[in-house]
This record gives sequence, C-alpha cells and structure tokens, in this order.
Amino acid sequence: MSKKLRKMEYILPTTLSAFAAFIIIFPIVWLLLSSFKPSTELFAYPLHLFPKNFTLAPYISVIKNGFGVYIGNSFFLAVVGTLITIIISSMCGYALAIYRNEIKYVNLVFGVFLLGTLIPGETLVVPQFSVISALGLYNNIWGVILPVVTTTTGIFLYRQHYFSIPLALVEAARIDGANEWKIFTSVMLPLGSSVTVTLTIFSFMWRWNDYILPLIVLSDQKKYTIQIAIKNYIGNMSVDWNSILAASIISIVPVIILFIVLQKYIVGGAVSSGVKG
Amino acid sequence: MKKNKQAFTHNKAFWGFVAPCVILFTIFFLVPLILSIVFSFSNYDGWKKMDFVGLKNYIKLFSDGSFYASMGRTFTYTIVTIPFKVIIPLLIALLATSKYVKGKTIMRTVIYIPVLLSSLVAGITINWMFGQEYGLVNFIIKSLGATPLQWALSPKLATFVIGFASNWGSIGFFMIIFIGGINSISADVFEAASIDGANKIQTFFKVTVPMLIPTTFLVVLLSTINLLKEYALVQGVTQGGPGTSTTFIIQYIFDKGFKQNEYGYASAVSTIVMLIFILIAFVQFKASKGGETE
Repeated sequence: MSKKLRKMEYILPTTLSAFAAFIIIFPIVWLLLSSFKPSTELFAYPLHLFPKNFTLAPYISVIKNGFGVYIGNSFFLAVVGTLITIIISSMCGYALAIYRNEIKYVNLVFGVFLLGTLIPGETLVVPQFSVISALGLYNNIWGVILPVVTTTTGIFLYRQHYFSIPLALVEAARIDGANEWKIFTSVMLPLGSSVTVTLTIFSFMWRWNDYILPLIVLSDQKKYTIQIAIKNYIGNMSVDWNSILAASIISIVPVIILFIVLQKYIVGGAVSSGVKG
Repeated sequence: MKKNKQAFTHNKAFWGFVAPCVILFTIFFLVPLILSIVFSFSNYDGWKKMDFVGLKNYIKLFSDGSFYASMGRTFTYTIVTIPFKVIIPLLIALLATSKYVKGKTIMRTVIYIPVLLSSLVAGITINWMFGQEYGLVNFIIKSLGATPLQWALSPKLATFVIGFASNWGSIGFFMIIFIGGINSISADVFEAASIDGANKIQTFFKVTVPMLIPTTFLVVLLSTINLLKEYALVQGVTQGGPGTSTTFIIQYIFDKGFKQNEYGYASAVSTIVMLIFILIAFVQFKASKGGETE
C-alpha cells in the first residue's frame, strides 16, 4: 500500500470521531456561550453563536442572590460526605476481605450490603424521609449526608482490592506485634490508595450532584445545595433563564476541573464501579 | 488458649471495622425498607394518622388508572430509549478503539464530559437547545424553512427531549464500558479472522458483535434500571408535563407521598416498584450465572 493511501485510511474514521465529539460537547458549549448573553439577546431572532454584548451580569446576579452560600453547602456535602465514605467503606471492605476465613458471617454481611445495589434508593424516599425526621435531621445538612455515605460500590471496590493482597502480609504484621487497627491504618490503607482515588472522584461527583434527598430534607433556603437552588429557578412562575444558565455553568465547573486533573483514574475506574450511587 | 484469644480479638476487630457501615446502612436503608412495607398496609399521612388498613392501598392501586398510566409510560419510555442507549455508545466505542482514529484520548475525554453533569443540569442543558420559541433546534428548523416543533406542548415530543437528554448524559459512561469490552477481546481472534480472509464488515458482525454480548447485556441492564428510575432529569426538562404525560413512576411516588401526603399509598406503589427491580436483579443473576462459562 502506498504511503498516501495509508494516510487516507485515517481520514474518514478520524473525521467521524471528531464530529461525534463535537456533537456531544456542543450543548455544553451552547449553554456556556448563552450564559454570557444578556436576556435581550437570549430571546431575540436571529440567534448568534457568540454573544454580541458579552455580559457577566447573570453570574453577578446569582452570586448576589446567595449562590455563594449554596456553593459552600454543596462543598460541605461533597467533601464531608466523601471523607466519611472513604473512611467507613475502606474499613468495611478491608474487614470483609481480610477476615474472610475467620469470621462466619462475612458473606452474610456482604450479602446484606448488596441489597443496596438491588433496590434503588429512589424507591425508598418516603420512609427515608420519615426516618430522617424522626432523628431530628430534617432541614439539616447531616440529614442529606448520613443516609448516603454507605455505598455498596465503595465497600465492593475496597473488598475486591484487599482480596488481591496476600493474607501473609497481615500475618507478618501481626507477628511483628502490630494490633489489628494499626495494621489497617499504617500498612493496609496506604496499599488501597488506588481505590481511594477512584472512590474520592466518584463520591465527590455523586454528592455534588445529589438531588432527591436535598430536595426533600432541606427546607430553609440558606441550607440549599446548588442543585436545589437551580431547581428553584425553574420552579418560579417565570423561568429565569439567565440565572439558570449561569448557575448551571457554575455547578459544572468544579466537577470538570476535578475530572480533568484526575481523569486517568476516572476512565479506568468507571468500569469497575458499575452502577451510579 | 492463644488461638482462642486471637479468634476473640479478630472477631472484635471485624465487627469494629464493619460497624459504621452496618449501623448507617441499617438506619437509612434497612429500616426504611421495612417501614415502606409497613406503611403500605396503613393510611399513614406523614403526620399523625396511622391505622392499619390491610390491603386497601393495594386494592386501590390495582384499580387506579393513574398508577397504570404512570407505570405504562415509564415502561414505554424505557423500552423505546434502550436501543439508543446501546447502539450509540457501541458505535462511538468502536471509533474510540479503532487504530485508524487519531487523537483517541481527547475524543474519549470530550465525550465523557456530559456524564459529569447532574441529571438535573443535563436535563436543563438539552432543554435549552429545544426551547419552543428561542431554542437553537427550532431556530435551525425555521432557518431551513420548516415549521418549528412544539417540544414542550406535545407529549410525544416532550418525551423525546427527555430521552434525548438521558442518552446524551450517558453516552460517555456506556462508551467506557464498551471500550472495556472491546479491549478484552483477544487480538488473536481478530488475527485469526483476517487470516481466514474476513473483511472488516464480516469481522464486525461475526467476531466483534458476538464477543460483546456480555458487555451489551450489562449495558442493557444498567440502562433499564436507570431509565425506570428517571426522575431528576425530567425535573430539568418538563417537570412531568405537559399534564402528566412525562410523569414517570418515581415522580408518581414522590407526588403521592410529599404533595398529597398519601404516605401509605405511595409506599404501596414503592413496594410494587421494588418488586420489579428485584425481578430485574433476579434476571441479571440468572443470566450472569449462565454467562460464567465464557
């Protein structure tokens, strides 16, 4: 085959791929460009791709209307929720793997957690709300954090990971006189760091994007997360598109930054983590 | 003696390690699960009233047109959307693994980005494209000289926009799953096919497609679950309208429970929906047992 012909083979597939990527990213680009347009331009024909009178007014307006507080609340939910998820899932997944030959109930405990993947949380919102209220966590950010920090995905990832680590390593540490907790924190937890990175990214994204629970639990506007604040812009009688567009873009930025910085872990981890939740 | 002591320590350590997860999972998942079943046999209104009413909620549910309508709508939406959820990511994954494509990494990254959006914002993003009067899609339709479509007013078109948004938000995720599947096919198989003189189209249908059946099954399963519980995305597009024509089953439960305070009735609907999900999981279990020989 001639060199020229060989080059030709790349043209069609590469063009198709670029086209697919362009089509898929375009709605976000359009959202972004629209967010810099004044409303006179948003709702006037003909439409233009780029803003003619570039404005930051919608962003300033949403920040003035308390968006800083919502961002803070969302960060609290995402960071604290993720921290708790990492701590408790690593402990649980580790124990389910390391004590598999010694404790009778290991598989039973794991089986119960698997129920969590079987039945989606969405079907349990009504009784979950009753439990949250009974615990006095209504209108409290902890009422949004505590119910979701136990993720079967997280427990599962750590369990799989620690299954692959030889039990002899634990035995050796025991002979050296380390106690069970010490073995976990100083030897085994660092060995699980690949899972920790993957789960951190996913957990942050899940909590940042959480919708149903914050919607029913948080009633005081000061306690809203970003998602609920955006939903509120739609709920109003006249839909405030300027605010919706700016707020949506603000809500996307942190996860995109996290993704771009840590993407090599995400793309590898997406398959093993399977279901969202 | 020493062995007994060690067994005791390990037992204590094990329960200590799993305790936080077990306790939180019990309070916020197992207890609600049981409560859901208990509520479903009562007339609980979320406040004070809570009397045992036997099967009344279930009898009401099975004679309730709005329940059937919502359930039917959810199933129709799921069945119609699934083929797209499988075919589009599969084709893109083929491109993203093709040796004739330059810049695969950047392509994968860009295509994955919509997955990062919350369902609500994904719904909003697509809804913005399909605005009735000043949406980009209608603008293009108008520029081409055709009549703009009433995306928000027609139940069918509104459902289409939701399905479009749902697909758009999941292409990247399923693409990654398909890439995993394609990469796990041994290169020897392709080599053998090419030695036997198979052309690219034959190789695709006779080698790639059959080898991807387990992956495809996984994608169908995950999409089914995600489509049946579609809720937040709809809130970004139609909020269930026009009328109730895009009110799917989770929103139906939500509205019955929190808007009409019929906790008992909503719990009965939840229980039925849970049974459907358990059935799906059962099918998955059966099928994956069958597929273990691969």
